[in-house]
Amino acid sequence: MRPTHPQRLLGVAGVLLAVAPAIVLAQQPTTIAGRVTTEAGTPIQGASVSIAAIGAGTYSQADGRYSFVVPATRSNGQQATVAARRIGFQPRAVTITLSGGTITQDFSLTAAPTQLNEVVVTALGQSRQKSQVGTAVQQINADELTNTKGQSVVQQLEGKVSGVQITASGTPGGSNMITIRGSNSISGDNTPLYVVDGIPILKANESAAGKGASSNGGFDFGSAINDLNPDDIETLTVLKGPNAAALYGSRAANGAILITTKRGRNSGGRVRTELNTFYTFANPAILPTYQNQYGQGAGGQFAYVNGAGDGVNDGADQSWGPKLDGRTTGCVFIPKTTTYDTSKPCTQFTAITGGPWVAHPNNVADFFQTGHTASATLAVSGGTDKANARLSVGSDNSSSFIPGTYLTKSNASLAGDLQVNDRMSATATVNYIRNAGRNRPGQGYSNSILESFVWFGRQVDMSALKDGWQKSATSNNGPDGREFNWNYNFHNNPFFLMYGNPENDTRDRLIGTVASTYKITDWLNLTGRVGSDLYRYGITQDFSSADITGSGANQNYAGAFGLVNDYNNETNSEALLTANKQVSRFMLNGTFGGNIRQQHRDIATVSTNAILAPGIYNVANSAIAPSNFQQTYRQQVNSVYGSASYTFDGWWTVEGTARNDWSSTLPKGQNSYFYPSVNTSVVLTDAVPALRNRVLSYLKLRASVARVGNDASPYQLITTYEGNSNKFKGQPQYTLGDVLANADLKPEITQSGEFGAEMSFFNGRANVDASYYDKATRNQIFNVTVSPASGFRQKSINSGEITNKGFEALLSVIPVQLSNGLQWTSTFNYSRNQSMVAKLAPGVQTIVLGGVWYVNLEARQGYPYGVLYGNAYARDKATGLIYTDGGLTVAGSRKVLGNIQPRWLGGWSNQVQYKNFTVNALLDMHVGGSLWSVTNWFGDYAGVLKSSLQGRQEEWNKPGVVINGIDINTCPSYDDAIASGACPGGQKNTTNITAEEYYQNIFPVNEGYIYNDTYVKLRELRIGYDLPQRWAERAHASALNIAITGRNLHTWTNVPNVDPEIAYSTDNGTQGQEYGSIPNARTWGISVRVTP
Amino acid sequence: MHMRNFFLTAGAAAALLGAAACNNDSLTSLNNNPNAPVAVPPPTLFTTAARLSAQRWIGNGYDLRGTEWVAQHLAEVQYPDEDDYKRLQASSTTGWFDAPYYQELEDLNKVIGFAQVAKDPGSYAPALVLRTWDYDFLTDTFGDVPYSDAQKGDSSDAALAPKYDAQKDIYADFFKTLTDASTALTSASNSLHAADPIYGGSTAKWQKFANSLHARLAMRVVNVDPAQADAELRAAFTAPGGVFTSNADNATLPWPGDGVYNNPWSGNFQGRDDHRMSQTLMNIMLASSDPRVPIYAQPTVADSTGKTYAGMPNGLTQATASVYFNTASRPGNIFYPGKTAYGTFSSAGLAQPSYFLTYAEVAFIQAEAAERGLGGLTPAQAPGFYNAAITASLNQWGVTSATTIADFLAQPDIAYKGGTPGLIQIATQKWIALYSDGGQAWAEWRRTCQPATLIPGPDAIINTVPRRFEYSNTEYSVNEANVKAAVQAMGGADVFTTRMWWDTNPTAAPTYPGPSCGTRP
Repeated sequence: MRPTHPQRLLGVAGVLLAVAPAIVLAQQPTTIAGRVTTEAGTPIQGASVSIAAIGAGTYSQADGRYSFVVPATRSNGQQATVAARRIGFQPRAVTITLSGGTITQDFSLTAAPTQLNEVVVTALGQSRQKSQVGTAVQQINADELTNTKGQSVVQQLEGKVSGVQITASGTPGGSNMITIRGSNSISGDNTPLYVVDGIPILKANESAAGKGASSNGGFDFGSAINDLNPDDIETLTVLKGPNAAALYGSRAANGAILITTKRGRNSGGRVRTELNTFYTFANPAILPTYQNQYGQGAGGQFAYVNGAGDGVNDGADQSWGPKLDGRTTGCVFIPKTTTYDTSKPCTQFTAITGGPWVAHPNNVADFFQTGHTASATLAVSGGTDKANARLSVGSDNSSSFIPGTYLTKSNASLAGDLQVNDRMSATATVNYIRNAGRNRPGQGYSNSILESFVWFGRQVDMSALKDGWQKSATSNNGPDGREFNWNYNFHNNPFFLMYGNPENDTRDRLIGTVASTYKITDWLNLTGRVGSDLYRYGITQDFSSADITGSGANQNYAGAFGLVNDYNNETNSEALLTANKQVSRFMLNGTFGGNIRQQHRDIATVSTNAILAPGIYNVANSAIAPSNFQQTYRQQVNSVYGSASYTFDGWWTVEGTARNDWSSTLPKGQNSYFYPSVNTSVVLTDAVPALRNRVLSYLKLRASVARVGNDASPYQLITTYEGNSNKFKGQPQYTLGDVLANADLKPEITQSGEFGAEMSFFNGRANVDASYYDKATRNQIFNVTVSPASGFRQKSINSGEITNKGFEALLSVIPVQLSNGLQWTSTFNYSRNQSMVAKLAPGVQTIVLGGVWYVNLEARQGYPYGVLYGNAYARDKATGLIYTDGGLTVAGSRKVLGNIQPRWLGGWSNQVQYKNFTVNALLDMHVGGSLWSVTNWFGDYAGVLKSSLQGRQEEWNKPGVVINGIDINTCPSYDDAIASGACPGGQKNTTNITAEEYYQNIFPVNEGYIYNDTYVKLRELRIGYDLPQRWAERAHASALNIAITGRNLHTWTNVPNVDPEIAYSTDNGTQGQEYGSIPNARTWGISVRVTP
Repeated sequence: MHMRNFFLTAGAAAALLGAAACNNDSLTSLNNNPNAPVAVPPPTLFTTAARLSAQRWIGNGYDLRGTEWVAQHLAEVQYPDEDDYKRLQASSTTGWFDAPYYQELEDLNKVIGFAQVAKDPGSYAPALVLRTWDYDFLTDTFGDVPYSDAQKGDSSDAALAPKYDAQKDIYADFFKTLTDASTALTSASNSLHAADPIYGGSTAKWQKFANSLHARLAMRVVNVDPAQADAELRAAFTAPGGVFTSNADNATLPWPGDGVYNNPWSGNFQGRDDHRMSQTLMNIMLASSDPRVPIYAQPTVADSTGKTYAGMPNGLTQATASVYFNTASRPGNIFYPGKTAYGTFSSAGLAQPSYFLTYAEVAFIQAEAAERGLGGLTPAQAPGFYNAAITASLNQWGVTSATTIADFLAQPDIAYKGGTPGLIQIATQKWIALYSDGGQAWAEWRRTCQPATLIPGPDAIINTVPRRFEYSNTEYSVNEANVKAAVQAMGGADVFTTRMWWDTNPTAAPTYPGPSCGTRP
């Protein structure tokens, strides 16, 4: 059995590389063995021990022991460097002579929580000593990334990287917005570039707003980056901003995330097994706190007749009805009184002739279910000094906590490396992903699950809706042809919403790279690389004509449907010369290369709001002419770039980079842009060894300036005519576009400077990596509104400036490290970004980015990027009290009510190891910033939230609310009071109003529902146990670990009722706005991990 | 391999990459938009503009959620904010000012430009007529508006903040434009064909439409400039091709009713149930047993016999309006789309045509001109035109029985009285005939103040019927100097009560009932 594995593996690698490698087995090999321990003598498990030059190595076991074999062909008496590395320790290397036989080599490693001397990946995939890097980069390794099971690689980054802000849509399988060091662009892209194994990949955000849904919400189909399987990732490196990413030129403004995938290793021909599995249970992390004292209705009355307005308030979708005290009669008043008429039965949708009027306190919670996710990645890898391969298969199946929603993701990945001869090597990776969703839940205002519980009858029995969603509405007097529900005016039965309007989507994706490197001389390599990322995304959404909201479906027909077919491709072809040469005390590095990037997208949609035969959601079954939409986008950027750096004596490095991009999207003659950068780093403790003492063991300073860009999208230069797929009486229709194009478009330009320090104290027991940066983005591309009488709505311009300044720090310490093996490692990352819209365009004060319900998200000159601008209360200037009119609040002018920029972000990660146990805990912190919560606003308006009980503690109309304010009618002038807050001699309000009157009148004012969005989340918890080593050996692995894991286990926040982290979508314009948003999942699970 | 080799290799690579990078032509041509053309056949723009014009002014928001309440043909039974004029303030009406400029007017402007270069009056003259028809709604709604400087955003002067023109000057240009268009049509040949959904490109019909629209606009200025009205009416009536002479000449948009392009009223009624007949209209029609009642309206739901027709008051509160939910008539079945969210109706409505201008209106203009001795007509001709107008309207709405028509015309209230009572009859009957065209009904009411029973409802936010709507909020933010200059020129305040230029001498109308006109006591 055993010998066949490597052959099979290598066979696969051979097919992959189209070269059949000759397998030469050693006859007189050298065996290198020993122990890896801490300085205190505690065994270190999982340390890598390898000879990089010949690609041989292994990992240490639980007792610290390791052993590997160097084949005889390589054991000819030469010197080799054996290095031992382990996360959390400084690597150590020794030189040995390979001459056959057995060599014993022990390693004693010094703890270093961050790898100040580690090798990091920088732009263009270059590996560099961190001590020689003059910009801010942070590397996350596989273990850190996959401690717990998040929905995606981006979620698994949450709280781990300073300077990075992640906004998640709570939707299962939903999208994320990730920004590094703030937003640079008013209306363009603000998310980083993703590069996998040196090749940029597609990053489309299929967010609710991005998929054609309006601010009224829609469906969220996730972000393309989430297709990657975290278990296939070896390291993830964040290039924090323009300086580190400068070599990416017109894509560098927002920083970059470089992902290196796992590959096979020289295992001496043995197969290595790797397995990472999770089984997790999910529940909504936060649900609103509802009141359970009053049921559906208005003015204290309710009587159901047909749920559409024929009864007393039975069309109402609010809970201002009679008290839920179990009464069976007396839910409406005797006419012209406010005395309940006990001769009339209490009727409701489940009891149309009468029944008890009782609360169902858990009705919303009962809608949800426990979600299940089973995920597993199985990989086999192995290799010799000539070739290696890794084959990985992953699968991720979820049934959401929202009934009806299912998500599946399958990955298969094959990576191989081949040393063709002494000069030439080749590598190839292919990754296939199938990402599918069924019945994704809606967010926002229309057909959204959480929104339908904001407008709700608190007495509604959820089990009746669950059991009856397929019944006809006529079973409780509702309109013929509709689903069974509690209300026939406004909302769908939530179960109908999930099951009755089926949605299906699939993304089939292939990411592949082939590369070859030719060693021209010892110091000069030429690499050619081609990588392509392509996917086809198909979505079908069907609507039943029984849908109450009528969304989509024409009542006269059998239903409606829409389908989307979206093809995306990005191909990069590049050539890169790299030179590394030591010239006396200087180490010189140079790169020179070029890239051709081609992007292609085809999107087509078909929709109709009327189908003929029920249940056949096919365009051939359209009852009327369907609407069609088709767009093709093509874009190409040609680039040449290079860098040169020298390192003097290992402690002083200066690097310059330059890139020139020629872009197809910019006007001819003005499409060439040059992006330079320069950086330097000095390891002061090496330059001046006297600086080193018992406290300070390492000090490095770095500084950098860079100028980079942000591309324009295609077809922005000429105004075109837009066609209409629907002919008018058979006649084609065109109309001139409404936006005046800009024939002189330029890319957005970001200039950025940064300064940083890396310090290590107490021999690596404490480390600090801190940066300060200051950047400005000019030539913002955006559309400015012009007078419509010009014949155009907007004009595309280059103008304005956004600045971002900030400070970020990563502090890692080992507070406890005992000889008995107990070790506590703690890492805290901190980021503070100050953003400012410095300038817009002449005469333009604000650009509206988005908004919901009277609150705009705006880029307003002189304010941070992303202010919430909405309706405030009218207030008395002298006292600061709000005005009342007839006891009700009074709406004042519109103003800036908050801004979405947090004051700071933090992540506190802890790891405690003792014997075979490891506990990891991560706290994620978001301090400051504002959140506009529509759920709270409408939840109070509709009387469903517990907070709306104030003023009706005794009865629906008692004791009432007396607002602490000034009666505006006692002001000398009503108009002056509103306009300037002037009310000399104004009297305090004494009018008592009902809670219903109070809350229903707050509607025009948003001010009270903008919250300070501070929260702390227990983001990750993992309690792991390493199984005995001999079990691992049996599984061809180095370690076996089982663990209990959890995510989002607790949230500390002052924001009521909603998940403070969640925006209703993840686009520029939807940040800071909570709106029927689906909360994050709180998950618990178990994990089994087999380390190769 | 030495340093020299490195530079050689680097140089070769650079040359290769440079060749690719600097190949500007192929790179630039990649940015030619494959989805949308930079030039299209002008008739395709005309089709869009004709459809949008109808949707804009005689069907959708401006009509059904705006002027129908103001003109009091309809009243609002749910959420009556528009009927109380609350949601007719600038924040709600901005789009009615903005969108026409960058949609149908821009497209018509392109048609005119292309066709004038091609010397094709068969296309540019109809476009000029339709553009004038559109601009009339704009100026009659807001007053002074951008006109001579408009639609020049992509021209060499790049006027992104156009000046406003005085309504008087705009009207003067209307008359000139229509005269020119009518003249050009005499020798034009059909170049629009089926791309023209109104007349199929018929130049003779467009000529009649040009002259009839000329008559509409001429009569509108009669209170402020009777001499101009007289001259322009004469010009309209005597122009080559003449004015409409039968319903066959009507300028209509026959909706396909194909589920995509439907009559806007029936499209709206598919999902909304806010509209009931106004009692201002119904009381007048019921008093004369108008045979159009069962066409304009449906029997009330409350009356199970199906014979009761009733209107409701305008401008109520939510609570007082909802009482009329089942006791006031819905608009007629011909405007309903079959199955709706709240019941099933006759399904003819999706294809019900929209009327740009009808023979009935032209005959009413002729009757009024005759009675007042304008445009070369004499009072003796008035009864003939009046009867022809009513007959045409009845026919247009489907009342064809000669007996029914004769009986109706013989009623004491309807039979033509001559003199000022005759002019009141003409104004009232014209207002009734303009049903489903709230904008024109409102304009005619402002000019004649008939029917005199039209006053704001009890909960309307102002005491008088609006004489205009407020300017666009967009203009205040991006064309502030010009919009403020226009407000100054019109009297200093951008309010509902500012009168149109043609409305500044209301007492000149013989039908003027006194200062109580349109005012809530």
